[in-house]
Amino acid sequence: MIRFKNVSKIYPPEVIGLQNVNLHIRPGEFVSIVGQSGTGKTTLVKLLIAEERPSRGQIVVGGWDISGIRNSEVSLLRRQIGVVFQDFKLLPKKTVYENVAFALEVAGATGKRIKAIVPQALKIVGLTDKADRYPRQISGGEQQRVVIARALVHRPKIIVADEPTGNLDSINTWEIIELLRRINGFGTTVVLVTHNREVVNALKKRVITIDHGLIVSDQEEGKYML
Amino acid sequence: MRGTRLTRVFRFGFQNFFRNFWLSAATVSVLTLTVISINGLVVVNVLGKIAVSSIESRIDVSAHFKPDVDASRVQTVKVALLSMQEVRDVKYVSREDAFSQFKELNGGDMDLMASLDEAGGNPFGATLIIRARDISDYPAILQTLSEPTFANMIEEKDFDDRELMIDRLNSLAARLELFALAATALFGCIALLITMNAVRVSIYTHKEEIGIMRLVGASNWFIRGPFYVEALIWTVISVGLTVAMLYPTLAFAQPFLQRFFGADVDLMSFYSVNMAEVVGLQFLGVALLTFVTTKMATARYLRV
Repeated sequence: MIRFKNVSKIYPPEVIGLQNVNLHIRPGEFVSIVGQSGTGKTTLVKLLIAEERPSRGQIVVGGWDISGIRNSEVSLLRRQIGVVFQDFKLLPKKTVYENVAFALEVAGATGKRIKAIVPQALKIVGLTDKADRYPRQISGGEQQRVVIARALVHRPKIIVADEPTGNLDSINTWEIIELLRRINGFGTTVVLVTHNREVVNALKKRVITIDHGLIVSDQEEGKYML
Repeated sequence: MRGTRLTRVFRFGFQNFFRNFWLSAATVSVLTLTVISINGLVVVNVLGKIAVSSIESRIDVSAHFKPDVDASRVQTVKVALLSMQEVRDVKYVSREDAFSQFKELNGGDMDLMASLDEAGGNPFGATLIIRARDISDYPAILQTLSEPTFANMIEEKDFDDRELMIDRLNSLAARLELFALAATALFGCIALLITMNAVRVSIYTHKEEIGIMRLVGASNWFIRGPFYVEALIWTVISVGLTVAMLYPTLAFAQPFLQRFFGADVDLMSFYSVNMAEVVGLQFLGVALLTFVTTKMATARYLRV
C-alpha cells in the first residue's frame, strides 16, 4: 500500500529531515509513527501527501510512484488519501456540512451523490445534529471529527492522521482514537503520527519509531519507547 | 461534470464575496477610488481640450486694407486666402461696415467724432478676418500675408502682436497634452499598485483556505476559479458605482462648467455618446488588472 525506498529529505543548506528511510505499510494496517518533536514525523507525512518532494529515493502509494509527482496530479493523490491534522484545517466560512461536502465538490461529485454521502459521514462521526454549525461554534473534539468525516467521504484506502489528538483533552482523544480504530476496522489503512505514549501503548498495533530522521525501531505490536 | 464544477466555482466566488463582506467592501472601495481617479483624468483631459479649442476658436487674424484699395482687390485676396489649405474661413468687412462699426463703438466720444468729421468721409479701409483650421496654421497664414503682393495693400497688421499669443497658446496646448499624459501615467501606476496590493491582501487572508482546498484534493483551477469570480464581482461593482456617482456629479457640475468654458461644454453628452468605449475600456482594464493580480497572488500559494 505504502512503500518508502531509501527516502531522504534534506532541507537547504544541510538540515536532515529524513535519512535513508525504508518502510512498507501493508493494506489495512494500523501503524503508529512515534518520535520526539523535530525528528522527522511530519516530514514523512508531508512526503506521503506530496506536500513536499523527497531529495532522494522513491515513494510508492497504491502502486503509484509519487516521488516526482506533477503539481497538477497532486489533487488526484489527495483524493485517495484522507488527511487529519492537529490544527483541524477546516474552512472557517463554511458550515460543518459544507466542509465535509467540499471534499466531494472539488472532485466534481454530483449534488445527488453529495446529499447521499455527507449525511452518512456525519453519522459515522456523530455530528448529524451539528451539520449547520460553523467550525468556531463547535468544540475541538467535534472539529476533529468533522475533519475525519471529510477525510472519509472519498472512501480512501489510506487515512493519515498527524497528531490528531494534540489539541484535545483526554476524553476527546479517546473518542478520536476509537473512531480511527473503527475506520481501520472497515479495511482502511491508518497511519497515526503521535507522541502520545498512552494512546500508542493502548492501541497494541505496529509502532515505528523515528529519531533524527532515521527509523530506529519497527515493532509489529509495539510500545512507545522514547 | 465540468458544468457542475463551473456552477460551484461561481457559487463559491459569490459565497467568498458575501461571507468576507468587509474585506470585499474594502477591496471594492479601493477599486472604486481607482476608477474614479481614472474618470477624473478623463474629465480633465476633455476639459483641457475643450478649453484649448475654445480659445483657439476665438483667435483670428485681421488684415486692415488701405482705404484706396478697392473692394474687388480685397475680394481677390480673400479668394487667394481661402484657397490655402490652412485657412478655414475668411470674413470680409467692407469699408462702410468698418466705419459704421467704429461709430457704433465710439459714438459717445464727441471729440473723436468731431475729428472724424474734420477728416471728411470714411478713413477706414476694408478688413479681412481670417480663421485658420488649426492654431498651428497661423504662422503659414501670417507668412503669406507678409509677402509683398499682399503687404503693400495692407495698412495695419494687428496679427503681429497675436503671433506671440498664438505661439504661447501652441506651446501651452502641447504642454497641457504632455502634462495630461504624464498625470495619467503617474495616476495609472499608483492605481495599479494600490489595486494590486488590495487584491493581494484579500488573497493573503485566504492563504490558509487555499492550503485546505489543496489538502482535500481541489485542483488549481478549482481553487483559483472562485477568486476570479470574486475579482469579476469587484470589477462590476466598482465600475458600476463609479458610473452611478459620475452622472449626478456631472449633472451638478454642468452649469458651472458651461459658465466657465462656454455653452459648448457638455460632459454629460460626451459620456452618453462615448459610454460604451469609456465604461467598457475601464471595465476591461480593471478586470484585466484584478485577474492578473489574482493569478499572481494565488500562484504563490499553489506551488508545492
